[in-house]
Amino acid sequence: MGHFITSKDIPADGEKIAKGKLAMPIMVCGIIALLGLIGSACLLFIDNPAQNEAADTVAGRYAYSWLFAFAFFVSLTLGGAFWLLLHHVSNSGWGVSVRRLMEHLACVFPWMGIIAIPFFFPQVQQHLFEWMNMHRDILGSTTTYANAKEALHYSHDPYDHLLYVKSFYMNLPFWLGRMIFYFIALGAGLFYLRKLSVAQDNDPNPGLERLKTARRRSSWIMIIFGLTATFLVFDLVKALDYKWFSTMYGVAFFAGCVLNGMALLILTTIVLRRAGYLKQVMSPEHHHIMGKLTFAFVVFWAYVSFSQFFLIWYANITEETSYFLLRNTGNWNLASIALVFGHFALPFLFLIRSDVKKKPGLMIPITVYLFILHALDLYIMVAPERGPSLTINSEAGASLMPSGSVIWLDLLAFITVGAFFAYVYLRSLASTSLYPHRDPRILESANLHN
Amino acid sequence: MTVKRVYGYLAEFKSASALYKAAEKVRDAGHKKWDCYSPYPIHGLDKAMGMKKSILPYLVFFGGTMGIITAFILAYTTQVVIYPTVVQSKPTNIFTTAAFFPIMFELTILFSGFTTLFGLLALMQLPRLNHPLFESRQFQRATDDGFFIAIEARDPRFSTEETKTLLEDAGGTNLELVEEPAT
Repeated sequence: MGHFITSKDIPADGEKIAKGKLAMPIMVCGIIALLGLIGSACLLFIDNPAQNEAADTVAGRYAYSWLFAFAFFVSLTLGGAFWLLLHHVSNSGWGVSVRRLMEHLACVFPWMGIIAIPFFFPQVQQHLFEWMNMHRDILGSTTTYANAKEALHYSHDPYDHLLYVKSFYMNLPFWLGRMIFYFIALGAGLFYLRKLSVAQDNDPNPGLERLKTARRRSSWIMIIFGLTATFLVFDLVKALDYKWFSTMYGVAFFAGCVLNGMALLILTTIVLRRAGYLKQVMSPEHHHIMGKLTFAFVVFWAYVSFSQFFLIWYANITEETSYFLLRNTGNWNLASIALVFGHFALPFLFLIRSDVKKKPGLMIPITVYLFILHALDLYIMVAPERGPSLTINSEAGASLMPSGSVIWLDLLAFITVGAFFAYVYLRSLASTSLYPHRDPRILESANLHN
Repeated sequence: MTVKRVYGYLAEFKSASALYKAAEKVRDAGHKKWDCYSPYPIHGLDKAMGMKKSILPYLVFFGGTMGIITAFILAYTTQVVIYPTVVQSKPTNIFTTAAFFPIMFELTILFSGFTTLFGLLALMQLPRLNHPLFESRQFQRATDDGFFIAIEARDPRFSTEETKTLLEDAGGTNLELVEEPAT
């Protein structure tokens, strides 16, 4: 047992990443993100008129790549938001040392709104969301109706009754309102919590007032978070196939968010500790707790993902099986089975030992591995829709894969969004002290023993 | 005349922290067969006593693995091999495994739970009807407000004088040589 940390060990001005140490990585990420964003905008919008019809073009294929990259990185930020809110709501003491990192990760979420901008344009929407095309077609038809619902009611397409029934939720104004709500409401809540926490760093007499305020407000922001994490993935990913539904989809996405948010926090703390920061306020005990939470959510992910598959597989109802039918066709089946062993069995057996969780050298590879499998998980949510959706209107009829190669598009989108994410995350990490050094409970956290 | 066998030395300590410090001394003296007794769990006492990690987790892991294998074999043999059961045109082959997962999960939990309980009882050599320390009247306070250390006579380093000195140096009071009841 090391020595007992007292307030003498905590620097009065906190620990900041030395000036200039991160300047180079931030600049590189910024340049990559900028070039990538310009390139992506060209790919998405040049030679891609709004026709209310999915087309097997580069822009169409890239729309899916962009959605996949967005889903991956937004899930990391949502994970950070969940841990921050849970920390406040549960009045926890152990996590004070890493709370600032959670705050920074969570506050990347509103910035992901910039990445979401293409989804607001009809040129991109037409390739992704069939239901929007149908709504727009019907609203722009020769006969004018009062609203989309009425139009759907009087049209005679065989699919339209589903859209008619769902039109209370799936209509263009409400969709737009929801998308804006996610980023503004949750973003404002998260910025507010970080502001409250950073303000404490300069307060000569920090009391409990801010902690109590954060706890009170967090219980409300937690509700916004629950709505956002669930319906963001409903509106952007599940809506790729408007006919399909699953109430477990949101929680399955949430499980991935929370698991990988924690994995990223572990990776960040390990890298920072290796660089000589957080030495006083963190110990292997913190990594033990974080590892335990990672382990718990490996199991939780498997539980909800399997339950979703299992209920649909068992009930065997046509409307529900379409999702897994597509994902069990061709090579997608291999990827689905790979998830069972790769995303659950292997990390489960690896993380089950308590000493592994305390060894940074072993945790770095497992966190990176979890990111890769999480990317595969989201890829299987998004990419199998690409082929059938884009080729449905072609002369040869729908096919499983789009005609052109997609791997470079997927990589470009992933690197662009990743660089943007890293740029925002690293910049905010460098901007404040790495832990709330004037938090009344920082010593409790520093001397954690579990 | 009946000859009683010596069980060991029992010493009382004032407080939990005194017990903790004494435990460190006894550990450093190299004793193996000894134990601390307190009315409530003391955080970190296992480290102060230099106790090795229990092998129970390995037993539980083995039990859980046996559970998952048992469940799979049970379900697969009955539902696929002996009497192929077709439900809602589901396949009867290795891809039926998805239907067995709830059973595999439940039996993993059940077997792990049983291994935990019975493994724990076996490692602690419970249940037993009596314990030599119950011969000591003052030991009754171990469940109320007494903190005790008992060093057993079967410890290789046990000796009537040195052990007594060790416990006295560590701050022990009310030293008592406990003898096993005549049988």
